[in-house]
Amino acid sequence: MALSKEVYKEFEDVVGEENICDDPAIMPAYFATEFAAVILPKDTAKVQAIVKLCNKHKLKFRAISTGWTGVFPKNTILLDLRRMNRIIEINEKNMYAVVEPYVISAELQAELFKRGLNFCIKGAGSNCSAMLRGHGHLDQTTSADDRNHLAIEWVTPEGEIVRLGSLGSSDEWFCGDGPGPSLRAIISSAVPPGVTPGVFTKAAIKLYHWPGPSKLPVVGKSPRYTLREIPANMMARYYSFPSVEKMWQAELKIGESEIAYELMGFNASMVASNITTCNEEEEEVFRRISQEVQGPGFFVIIAGNSPEDFAYKKKVLEKIVSDADGKSLKSVEDPEIEGILLCQCVRISASIRETFRAGGAFNSIPIMGQRDLTIKWAIGAGEAKKPLIKKGLIVDDGGAFFGWGVEQGHLGKTEIFCRFDPLNPEAKKAVEEWRKEQCARAVNERYFADLLMAKIDESGPSLSNYHLWWRKIVKELDPNSVSPEGGPLV
Amino acid sequence: MIAHEKLSDIVGAANVSCERTTLDEYSRDMSFVNTVRPACVVKPRNAADIKQLVKLANEILTPLVPVSSGSPHFRGDTVPSIGGAVIVDLSKMKRIIKVDRPRRVAIVEPGVTFGELIPTAEKEGLRLNMPLLPRKSKAVIGSLLEREPVIMPKYQWDISDPLACLEVIFGTGDEFRTGQAAGPGTVEEQWAVGGVQKAPYGPGIASWHRLIQGAQGTMGIVTWASMRCEILPSLEEPFVVGSSNPNTLLELAYWLIRLRMVNECFILNNTNLAAIFAKKWPDDYQDIKAALPAWTLFYTAAGYEYFPEERVSAYVKNISDITQRLGVEAAKAVGGVSANEILKAVQRPSEEPYWKLRYKGGCEDIFFLTINDKLGVLIEAMNDLAIKFGYPVIDMGVYIQPIVQGTGCHCEFNLFYDPGNPGELNRVRKLSISAVKALMAKGAFFSRPYGESARMILNRDAATVAVLKKFKKIFDPNNVMNPGKVCF
Amino acid sequence: MALEDYRGDMEMCCRCSCCKFIPMQMVQGAEYSYACPSIAKYNFHAYSAGGRLNIAASMLKKGFNYSDKILDIVKNCQMCGACGVSCNYAMDMEVLEPIQEFRIKTVEDGHTVPALEKVITSLGNQGSMVPVTGKRGDWASGLNLKDATSKKVNVLYHVGCLTSYDKNMQKLAKATVNILQKAGVNFGITGDAEMCCGGRAYQMGYKEDFLNQAKKNMAMIKKAGIKTLVASCSNCYQAFKVLYDKYNLRGDLEVLHITEYIARSLNEETLKPSKKVALTVTYHDPCRLGRLGEPWIHWEGKKIPGDRFVFDPPKIYRRGTHGVYEPPREVLNSISGIKLMEMTRIKEYAWCCGAGGGVNESNPEFAMWTANERIREAVSTGAEAIVTACPWCEKTFNEAIQKNESSLKVYDIVELVEKAI
Ligand SMILES: Cc1cc2nc3c(=O)[nH]c(=O)nc-3n(C[C@H](O)[C@H](O)[C@H](O)COP(=O)(O)OP(=O)(O)OC[C@H]3O[C@@H](n4cnc5c(N)ncnc54)[C@H](O)[C@@H]3O)c2cc1C
Ligand code: SF4
Ligand code: SF4
Repeated sequence: MALSKEVYKEFEDVVGEENICDDPAIMPAYFATEFAAVILPKDTAKVQAIVKLCNKHKLKFRAISTGWTGVFPKNTILLDLRRMNRIIEINEKNMYAVVEPYVISAELQAELFKRGLNFCIKGAGSNCSAMLRGHGHLDQTTSADDRNHLAIEWVTPEGEIVRLGSLGSSDEWFCGDGPGPSLRAIISSAVPPGVTPGVFTKAAIKLYHWPGPSKLPVVGKSPRYTLREIPANMMARYYSFPSVEKMWQAELKIGESEIAYELMGFNASMVASNITTCNEEEEEVFRRISQEVQGPGFFVIIAGNSPEDFAYKKKVLEKIVSDADGKSLKSVEDPEIEGILLCQCVRISASIRETFRAGGAFNSIPIMGQRDLTIKWAIGAGEAKKPLIKKGLIVDDGGAFFGWGVEQGHLGKTEIFCRFDPLNPEAKKAVEEWRKEQCARAVNERYFADLLMAKIDESGPSLSNYHLWWRKIVKELDPNSVSPEGGPLV
Repeated sequence: MIAHEKLSDIVGAANVSCERTTLDEYSRDMSFVNTVRPACVVKPRNAADIKQLVKLANEILTPLVPVSSGSPHFRGDTVPSIGGAVIVDLSKMKRIIKVDRPRRVAIVEPGVTFGELIPTAEKEGLRLNMPLLPRKSKAVIGSLLEREPVIMPKYQWDISDPLACLEVIFGTGDEFRTGQAAGPGTVEEQWAVGGVQKAPYGPGIASWHRLIQGAQGTMGIVTWASMRCEILPSLEEPFVVGSSNPNTLLELAYWLIRLRMVNECFILNNTNLAAIFAKKWPDDYQDIKAALPAWTLFYTAAGYEYFPEERVSAYVKNISDITQRLGVEAAKAVGGVSANEILKAVQRPSEEPYWKLRYKGGCEDIFFLTINDKLGVLIEAMNDLAIKFGYPVIDMGVYIQPIVQGTGCHCEFNLFYDPGNPGELNRVRKLSISAVKALMAKGAFFSRPYGESARMILNRDAATVAVLKKFKKIFDPNNVMNPGKVCF
Repeated sequence: MALEDYRGDMEMCCRCSCCKFIPMQMVQGAEYSYACPSIAKYNFHAYSAGGRLNIAASMLKKGFNYSDKILDIVKNCQMCGACGVSCNYAMDMEVLEPIQEFRIKTVEDGHTVPALEKVITSLGNQGSMVPVTGKRGDWASGLNLKDATSKKVNVLYHVGCLTSYDKNMQKLAKATVNILQKAGVNFGITGDAEMCCGGRAYQMGYKEDFLNQAKKNMAMIKKAGIKTLVASCSNCYQAFKVLYDKYNLRGDLEVLHITEYIARSLNEETLKPSKKVALTVTYHDPCRLGRLGEPWIHWEGKKIPGDRFVFDPPKIYRRGTHGVYEPPREVLNSISGIKLMEMTRIKEYAWCCGAGGGVNESNPEFAMWTANERIREAVSTGAEAIVTACPWCEKTFNEAIQKNESSLKVYDIVELVEKAI
């Protein structure tokens, strides 16, 4: 349904004719959804005006930042926030940055490096919005999920502007909580599939110290960038262990001793994806590395704030690894490969190699929370991949999973995925079944409940019936039902 | 008047009291809120009791006021705002449910105090990220729910830390568990497979504990909560740095925290430091105060399992580079107060009597959050006001606590007064209200609005209040949960 | 290959948006992070490469329902190829090729842009991509250059339409001639007989017109027995070297850009820049000399059934790795007094000048906008001048600078070499 001329005109009056389009031909550029129109607001006031119009005409709307993911009902008004791409403030003294939704992580990180700072970048990649919540390679030191937001500016589904915390009371971005209960409870910015109704227009993000250079000395040509030299206060290694238990022992100790700048529990297959430039090379390198590793492992970056600090961290790392019978992967000791990984895993630039490059699709079960618990579950989920690998339906990764420690091991994340060719219906179905079975097992055995793909009504009852409360909240916030829920990841 | 029997049926007759003396105890606190006598005090034994109490309260539309800590209370949040209320005193729920060393987490019921939890945690090799010297009767959960600042900002990743998960009976009478605790399965079932209740976010994209925190019991009653714990260091080296300029100390603290070199880290003015460490009153207090620099930064460098000496010595060296640059000096003692003594003290609750009451018997706290840049202006403004109201500035305690890994700081003015002296009391009361107003105008953020100033504070942010009211409608539609508090 | 042949590649697009930006590791801040002028200016996702691929894929499935918006999207793309480089950092898929085929299809389906139609008509009538005044070889009058069609020469200098006809650009031809002479090269030109390479027609989607030019050119070259062609225009260079090869028309003709030729001469010491040129410059990599100057890779094969998007025989992608980046820099660095300051977006991820893909003709305002962005970036390096290696870039930059009253100077690299020898 295209909008009526009159309604279209009302939206057009808000953003100008060059910033609205309802030509059905452009819609596939976004998602496989027929949007009623795509609108490009420039600022919060425009977003508010659009949302108010949506309420007036009872039109559903949703916003996207870079628009990688999301599922949208037909006839939604899509607010593409591409024009809202300003870094509003980098406050070094109080360790936060304020950004609009279309500032991508790579942009913000580069600006931060110049000031000796860094922030949490989603493992998805630095091509994503810096503002949205998420978790990634650097979580060991940069925390994750909804824990990095300070004040947030939010346009409610009804079109009110709410400025959380200190922003609402004293026009400062440093705190998002209060007065009284914290609205961050539900206004945590977006990550699919659950999306807070309304639109996030700005957020302050917590910053962290960056011990590396103001600009990484990247050399080489795409697709093989590496570092001219490894910064003197940094080191990257991949360690494999004889068993999951030993690996976990080492990971735990590394967290407790607060020595890792990054701890990324890559499996051998992901190391291969990262350091290779095409599918064929990846297959070959994976085969080689699989022989080299003794079992599961992880990638670590240590970084010293001073020569003493670096020496100390290195010494502790070596001790922990040796206590757990770990073995360093020789390939990664090669400074070129070390440089490739160091750069990629700090600038978060190769997750597409790990996920989409092989077959064009992947289906994943990511779980945030308690690392040892989820590892325990993931071993079984990995085993269950093996028959699919054998049948050639999914890419051979040895039945591996991956994950990482968060906040020096206080929390963690584990994830497991299958990569396949989406045009092969048999593979698609087999992977979907694998996913379903493993998620069902997770609930039945009390590990966790999947929220990524499951319908909220399916997962809710096993999770304190949170879905009922969530629905009530949404209903209160969105009386006209114009702000539809997110859907599973595309 | 609620039927006494109905309450007795729920919690047992021994746990219900409508005696006037008992009721009087709950009808006021150390703050300036109006005295309102509750109708009854009940002491539930478990979550099931609480659930029934909430159901009953909804049926007969009676306010419930949850209380975890023992007296004295300071913020007015546990004093009923309207008559006929039932105090739900949770002090009998005293189980330490779990302390898990590898996962660094502890789970407690609302009645557990710091003094009780600390030794149990220590036995497992864990420690708590504490508020500064809480009173002995302070319940751990009370502190967690109030978003009290903690003295190890390095370990406060999020302002909700160290709270992890909780179980709550909403105002509707429904039970709910937040974060990882939500499920699947019961808590016990989660334990059986190796799960603990630690990850705070979820279920879904919400972080439900944030809604309960800071609510002053207006959303529901918490029946247990888990908190993240830190590892007990194997070596600790505390230091003090004195200065006449709080900004220099703030900058030092900024770098110590940014580089994650220190555990405990806070700034006190001489009044507060003396109030904490004076043994013989009042001489000792005056002497210490006179000997102290105007401001003292306290911090600890620590080592854990591996080569702790090397770690500490590396930090000490790196820190001295910074202190040199700033023209200050780290020492082991200041004005007769040793760093070791401070360290020992702040790892426990306050000795009795509570340090804030030792000087004059009463203390009114004015506290807010701000960014480092604004702190100087706010302290000056407070000093000016104190002078205007005739409160001796030198008597005013100041506590500056960097929060959330350095993204701001909690600033607290402690106005010591003699509650038996009506003139003093009145002066402090007036000063307190004016101060909140004046500081707010200068950009102080009162994130935890209590007592008489709450309305004024919330009035500044109508948009937030509007959303909060929507939530309140959902979780406590009959407004039985501590009515009159926050903006409800 | 036709658009259908890229169905698999287009289906591979994961909507990651990397094609909008320079490779993530190279992003140096909030400024100069975009690679694609089209998305940077027009904002709707449809203007990015990913958007284009998804639209094309959808049309393949659902039919080609053209609308004004679609044609607007198709034409507002410089065909600069930056998208492909960024995408191919991580993905194994063709990006610019399907975009090119989509363009060709719109033209074949008769959905053309009047401004481009005009250019192509004039190409047919007058053999030039730019307005014709006088004769093509007028610039060389009095220079006594060899006619390569009749005299035996080692090198054919192909001048190109813009350099030949544009009064402001003829200096580049003269400089090139000067350099070749100084280097003692036995070269010639074809003067009035020179024909448009067809490369820019191809960028505009006019494949047949391009092939027509290509065939005519190669016939002449063969006839004249020319083994090596030197181009000073990057469009010509890419057409002869890459596009002719793509359509199996190049044979064994060696194609060099003048910067490559100069670099070679420097190495062989047949050319020695001796004069100092005191100037702080920044170098703009022309798209078609840089990333798109990468040799064509002939490949034909089939997807191997199974989990991966891999082929038999393996497909090697042109990812921008082997473009011509170093020779122009070597040349600049060989001139004493020149200080080279690099911009943020260089080499394989350089930002386009704005002139490509017919945008110069169909939407001059967009071309100017794109050029302005580059000027801003150049100025940010502290350079006094922006140096390029293509007359189209020079022209576009000059126009942008004039409109902006910027004090930045614009040179083609041959102008600086000419000063130095
Ligand atoms: C290959 C891959 C790997 C991934 N790995 C990780 C990972 O390691 N860690 C992780 O955390 N996530 C991961 N994800 C999910 C990822 O976080 C999101 O895809 C990413 O944040 C998307 O960023 P975006 O800018 O494209 O958001 P978008 O796709 O634009 O938005 C995501 C959702 O949020 C909504 N939304 C976006 N902006 C706003 C706004 N301003 N206001 C209201 N709603 C909005 C959208 O409607 C959409 O539903 C991964 C995804 C992919 C595809
Ligand atoms: S074309 Fe490539 S870079 Fe662009 S969105 Fe698609 S996959 Fe990503
Ligand atoms: S060719 Fe250039 S302008 Fe066209 S989509 Fe790719 S990057 Fe954008």
